[in-house]
Amino acid sequence: MNAFLFLRGLKRIPYFQIGFILTLGICFLPLLPGLAGLLLSALGFIPALNQYHFSLLGFYQLLSWPGITQSILSTLLVTLASTLLTTLLAFSIVQSCWHSRWWKKIENLLAPILALPHVAFAVGFAFLFSTSGFLARIAQLLNESTTFSDWEIIHNQYGLGLIFALTIKEIPFIIFMSIPIFKQLNVDKTVQIGQSLGYSRDQVWQKIIFPQWLPKIRFSLFAIMAYSLSVVDVSLVIGPTNPPTLPVLLWSWLNDANLFTLPKASAGAFLLLLSCIVLVYLIRFLEWLIAKRCQGWQVNGRFALPTMGKSVILITYAISFATLLILFTWSFVQRWSYPDIIPTQWSGRFWLQEWDYLWTITKNSALLAIASATIALICVLILHENNAQSKTSNNTKTSKVSLRFPLPALLIFIPILAPQISLLFGMQVATLYIASQHYYLWVIWSHIFFAFPYLYLALDGPWRSYDQRLDKVSLSLGMSPIKVWWKIKMPILLPAILFAWAIAISVSLAQYLPTMMLGAGRISTLTTEAVALASGQDRRISAIYALMQSLLPALFFILAIIIGRKTGKLENRTRSCDKNDIITQ
Amino acid sequence: MYKLMTIITLLLLSGYSHAKTINWPEVEKKAQGQTVYFYAWGGSQNINNYLRWANKQLQTQYSVTLKHVKVTDISEAITRLLAEKTAAKNSGGSVDMVWINGENFKSMKMHGLIDLPFANQLPNWQYVDKSFPVESDFAEPTLGLEAPWGIGQLVFIYDKQRIHNPPSSFAEMLTYATAHPGRLSYPRPPSFHGTSFLKSALLELSLDPQHLYQPVESDTFMQISAPLWDYLDAFHKVAWQQGERFPASSAETIQLLDDGQLDLAITFNPNEVISAQLNGSLASSTDTYALQAGALSNIHFLSIPWNASAKEGALVAINFLLSPAAQSKKGSLSQWGDPTILQSQYITGSAKKTKLFKSIPEPHPSWQRALEAEWQKRYGH
Repeated sequence: MNAFLFLRGLKRIPYFQIGFILTLGICFLPLLPGLAGLLLSALGFIPALNQYHFSLLGFYQLLSWPGITQSILSTLLVTLASTLLTTLLAFSIVQSCWHSRWWKKIENLLAPILALPHVAFAVGFAFLFSTSGFLARIAQLLNESTTFSDWEIIHNQYGLGLIFALTIKEIPFIIFMSIPIFKQLNVDKTVQIGQSLGYSRDQVWQKIIFPQWLPKIRFSLFAIMAYSLSVVDVSLVIGPTNPPTLPVLLWSWLNDANLFTLPKASAGAFLLLLSCIVLVYLIRFLEWLIAKRCQGWQVNGRFALPTMGKSVILITYAISFATLLILFTWSFVQRWSYPDIIPTQWSGRFWLQEWDYLWTITKNSALLAIASATIALICVLILHENNAQSKTSNNTKTSKVSLRFPLPALLIFIPILAPQISLLFGMQVATLYIASQHYYLWVIWSHIFFAFPYLYLALDGPWRSYDQRLDKVSLSLGMSPIKVWWKIKMPILLPAILFAWAIAISVSLAQYLPTMMLGAGRISTLTTEAVALASGQDRRISAIYALMQSLLPALFFILAIIIGRKTGKLENRTRSCDKNDIITQ
Repeated sequence: MYKLMTIITLLLLSGYSHAKTINWPEVEKKAQGQTVYFYAWGGSQNINNYLRWANKQLQTQYSVTLKHVKVTDISEAITRLLAEKTAAKNSGGSVDMVWINGENFKSMKMHGLIDLPFANQLPNWQYVDKSFPVESDFAEPTLGLEAPWGIGQLVFIYDKQRIHNPPSSFAEMLTYATAHPGRLSYPRPPSFHGTSFLKSALLELSLDPQHLYQPVESDTFMQISAPLWDYLDAFHKVAWQQGERFPASSAETIQLLDDGQLDLAITFNPNEVISAQLNGSLASSTDTYALQAGALSNIHFLSIPWNASAKEGALVAINFLLSPAAQSKKGSLSQWGDPTILQSQYITGSAKKTKLFKSIPEPHPSWQRALEAEWQKRYGH
């Protein structure tokens, strides 16, 4: 029987191997020109400017730029504060709401908020919180003497508004990524046992579940950290301006007509990548400190920190939906000047004027996103299967499983850790040498490249929590490995797969730089239009494009949820399977 | 480095001498069916709509398709062209036409990204008003490498209901700000409008403005620019946000004017206020004016990169955009309102009503970098 299985396994290896190699090519090949371009130009090697000698001039120019220290510090402050706040707040939300009567609602509302693109959120956030924004107008109405010029959240010098907005935008992402982890951690039983030992519910969550959750959510924290560190568009809308954050500075230098600022910009990009790596290790270190090193607080039963999970989730959702509402309102405004609470003149003409163009652009954006998300999904499934296989084979060989961190994981996350623009310059040059006119090919490829780490992340939890025994049982009952995957594993994981696919679609839809740089303007999407229009600051038109940008991914999230729900029965069946296992043990 | 630049420039110049004359009927024939990818700033829906109109006209009249590639900053196109230059992609390039001026043109010219002197061979060149400085771009000779498209004048917008006599000089602006602290500001340099504000202020405050029309020299820079920094030191104390923060762009000053936070907004389009009122983004009581000394003026241009795929199409498109019909439409007050560069007798419709303010020419382009760097050192952090 075993020999038979082995032979069957061999039979499928070639296909899988080919797929695996293809996947490696698709997901990692673009790194070569990307990183080479980044490093070479940071070291002053820029053939385009006839600079063929290595030098540290770029770094020198960067560090002597007045204001650079402040810019770097505020960037780091924003990144660290928003990442830490998000982590703590997201956990406290789950702690207070897990399996309460609120939970189902929170879970259902995650999708539309995840679908809301960062930059659209930022535009709406600014409409709400700017000194002439909606809240300022209400305050003015309540108390005439209030002047909001003191209330500087948007463009705050220390990036407070940016921290606030990023935190609110990332909390739903971390909650979403935590759901499979909490399912896997068997929270309800832990709480029961903990309580029977005399701990309060809050104590069990903080002392037993938190240290287990932290290592498992690690990569998602890296992702939001890297995003906050290198975000340009959101920072432009609400970040500090004097000086701006480092990525915004780089963006302006790269866009400088004087091309000799390129070495300085590349040096900055390199510095950004370096900070990102340092922060990855800092987060890893903090995690080790909390979960492994200083365990005293975990066994000390005296205190539990108060949680404000319910109010936090309320604020998060309220602001996110208020953002959508105010975008919707602005898209029908003809005149709405300060301090009017409601618009004084309405008009649908902006929608009418854009309608014909919107339709074509929306269709193009959707097709592009579906194509790249689907290919990325296949690649990620292959990667995860490969991981699962190597893990099980490791298990049989040696009892100690070596940590796969840091190298392979870092490799997977480079596309979201490295500043996008510096990777893209090298890639663009590479496409020019090959055949740059295949615009669609390059754009789809780049979207796959930038979306697959998120997909990988979204499926990491579900893949880990998948019960391998199901595979073993099915194999021993004589099913072929492919059939086992198709009939057992895939249906069980389908809701997660679909949701991850929707995430990849939303990532692809949000790509601005890759679409512009590799598509050479041949391919316009809602995002390229929205970003171009944002530079003109017309609130009405910006609102229309921001709304469309949110609507499209939301459709895919809803689709993923509807299809995913249909497979609920099978999930239940496996759960009962689990229970039987436990009983027999 | 400068040697290299000189060599490149010389090489370029030698190229001009044996440039062919353009055979126009042949160009029009070859252009048929071509798609022209036109890289231009995409932030204004009025401009975008105008280009949509131009595309329809070009399609019906010349079978040329004009695709507006909307960029947030035209230097995106220059970085792209530079990458193509690096890869020796000397034909089949991705950019067919660009909308540029000033620094961007200088940069393209210096790096050899334009090689076709075409402007004065266009059939519609005859309508261009040669009394404008159409053959120099921020003091940089155009050598026909770009064709003029429109005129920008640095003007201010105010609300007549709020102020009756808006400050008519930089000196008066300081007086006004001292009397009404926190009501005036300007876009943060190195944004286009911000740097223009600095140049304009220095031209007024400088004892001898003629220096500004010479290349900047490092040993005299501080002495010549000193009045500007003294002025700004005083101005920032009473400016919006105490000069710790500045609006990001001209568009933001207009927004802040409408929000009642600023009393003056700044723009390069003297007719912007009219289209903004029609769009509902400014109150009907707003108006435009220039400072007493005049308005800093410059011309914006259209050009064709050396490796353009649809050179003929781009030539036809540029020629069309210089036609009296297209220029009248562009200047139409309810549309874009951009002042024409054609002689006024060829213009029809509301564009005819545009009256240009007394103009002050742009200083030598080398001043831009120097002022921006010094501003950054003093106030940028």
